[in-house]
Amino acid sequence: MALQPILDRRVVLVAGKGGVGRTTTTAAMARAAAASGKRVLVTEIEEPATQAQSSLARMFGREVLPTRPVLLAPGVHGCMLSTEMGTERFLADVFKIQTLARLALRNAALRRLLHAGPSFHEMGVFYHLLHLIREELPDGRPRFDFILVDMPATGHALALTGLPDILLRLVRRGPIAAALREGQGWLNDPHTGCAVVVTIPEPLPVTEALELVEGLQATHMAVCCMVANRVPVDPFDEEARAALADILPDGPLYGKEELARIERARTSLERLQKSAEARVIAVPEFEADGREAVDAMAAFFLGQEFPSTGGLP
Amino acid sequence: MSLLGQHLRQKLVIICCGAGGVGKTTTSAALAVAAAQDGRRVLVLTTDPSKRLAEALGVTANTPDPVRVRPEREAEAGIRPPGALSAWMLDPKLVSDATVRRLVKDPQRARELMDNPIYQQVTQMIAGMQEYTAMEALHGFVARDEYDLVILDTPPARNALNFLDAPRRLGEFLDGRIFQMLLPDRDGRGFGGTTRRMAGRVLSGVFGEEFYADLQVFFSAFSSIFAQLNGNAQRMRQRMQQDDVVFLLVTSPVRTALDDALYFEDRIRELELPLGGLILNRSRHLAEHRPMPGPELLPPHATDAHHRALKALQKLAERERRHEAEHRELVDTLVQHAAKDIEVLTVPEFPGGIDDLEGLGALARWLLDDAHARVRD
Repeated sequence: MALQPILDRRVVLVAGKGGVGRTTTTAAMARAAAASGKRVLVTEIEEPATQAQSSLARMFGREVLPTRPVLLAPGVHGCMLSTEMGTERFLADVFKIQTLARLALRNAALRRLLHAGPSFHEMGVFYHLLHLIREELPDGRPRFDFILVDMPATGHALALTGLPDILLRLVRRGPIAAALREGQGWLNDPHTGCAVVVTIPEPLPVTEALELVEGLQATHMAVCCMVANRVPVDPFDEEARAALADILPDGPLYGKEELARIERARTSLERLQKSAEARVIAVPEFEADGREAVDAMAAFFLGQEFPSTGGLP
Repeated sequence: MSLLGQHLRQKLVIICCGAGGVGKTTTSAALAVAAAQDGRRVLVLTTDPSKRLAEALGVTANTPDPVRVRPEREAEAGIRPPGALSAWMLDPKLVSDATVRRLVKDPQRARELMDNPIYQQVTQMIAGMQEYTAMEALHGFVARDEYDLVILDTPPARNALNFLDAPRRLGEFLDGRIFQMLLPDRDGRGFGGTTRRMAGRVLSGVFGEEFYADLQVFFSAFSSIFAQLNGNAQRMRQRMQQDDVVFLLVTSPVRTALDDALYFEDRIRELELPLGGLILNRSRHLAEHRPMPGPELLPPHATDAHHRALKALQKLAERERRHEAEHRELVDTLVQHAAKDIEVLTVPEFPGGIDDLEGLGALARWLLDDAHARVRD
């Protein structure tokens, strides 16, 4: 299966610019991993500002994701990584007394501080993720052995992966430092953690994806593969492509823009494959949206027949 | 003239909002080129230009001041005096350093504050700080009277609303009551004593005694500065409500574009900020009519390969036409739903993207062409 090398990891961060299909990819990877027997948890990061509807939840037919894991699809749980949940867990772990943690969080001023304070948002999210990595089944196996994080916009993604380094410069001892080191252990060890960078085969997005890879590597995240999404299917066999020259008129014609797009995709994909050290998975363009696109992509990852790509052969 | 054309000619500040990946930076730069071509002295402030766009404008990260585009390049882009184009890639750290120096009159004291290890890390970590520094920089330039127009490309975010909500988030953090919890308890009495004791216990447990002490030093030193920042943020918000400022929403033709645009419109009205228009990028809705490929294209004695080529080409043509129809539908719905005074502009996909002044100029011409602006009748 296309995803085999990723599936051995415990935590996979899915990063990429808006509009490249990052959330669809995250959902499809979750479905494909579950189909190959993984206990999957798919997560996204709470946005304190907006509380907008969750696009990840919509990929599973829900409006929002709760902060505790719920079953979204066979073998796939999902939850929102939240500052407040992370902070509550953290306080409970530090003080060993749940009530003190709850009491502290009930204090309005303290809560606001934790939301708005320097890095507190990222730290809460980070600890929530760590807590979910640690969770175990009664038999001692991890509750989730494959955790996917749908990472927010580039800058925020790097703020999160760069958090341990920055904070450890300030906080060298104590419970925060210990949690940061433990989280770093999971994320930065290429055997347990990696990042997947999603992009589309167009000139600028490819450039930006390569910059994102550099940014992630600077925060010690290994990039284990790149996903080139929406690669337009080329409907011409070799002979037909040669014959095309005889039939294309000089003037404007429907179909010429698509031809140009296929050409751009070809060169962009080649550049990506040449420049990226990580393996590139080229995902064909599906004429589908939302949940249908997730179905199609999951089937593609599983190497099965995938549904029609807009009637193209 | 389109409303956008009037804004570019008359306004002092244009703020471009939009979610990540919609082409906001490119649009901001193109608007700047358009206004400079029109004879205005324009500054575009951005946080995240793509490398090639930065090269086109001649801006690099970490310059302490805006960079003027070289005159020969300006001329190539159709910008002639008094028109001028400058750009600055905002560095939040540089802006906040400048703010500290401005607020703390004693240079020695300012240096001490800036040497604080927490300060050095913290400026980029406070929620809303990036947006605040963008506003702060914007205000500095507006006050200086060096430019006729300042265009702000808001910091990248998942959601276009982030920029509007930033002052509230920063305000929460800068709220005096929160600081008091972190300040050393000098007399053990007064407002919030119990809260502060509990907070102290919680925070020293969490951060460890050592870092908690560092934090207290930091907050004691910076409390007066933060109070001033909070006041500034409030004043800036009010300044943004005035007539010489306009907000633009940049979006792209995806299914959620309509919902996003309407939600943004609601919020911006709630905040009493002026929304001037909506720019839909990468839209195919104005594509010219052209023929569909048919059998008349086949040469005499067409081979099997010719027939296969035509069939494949027809499928591509169908797809192209379907996309166009979808985009037209989206634009019609946007125009129908947007408020009366909001102009909806559509911009075609520029194949290969826009990465030089020439491309920005072409985009600028498109944006200013009246035929491309649509306002609800």
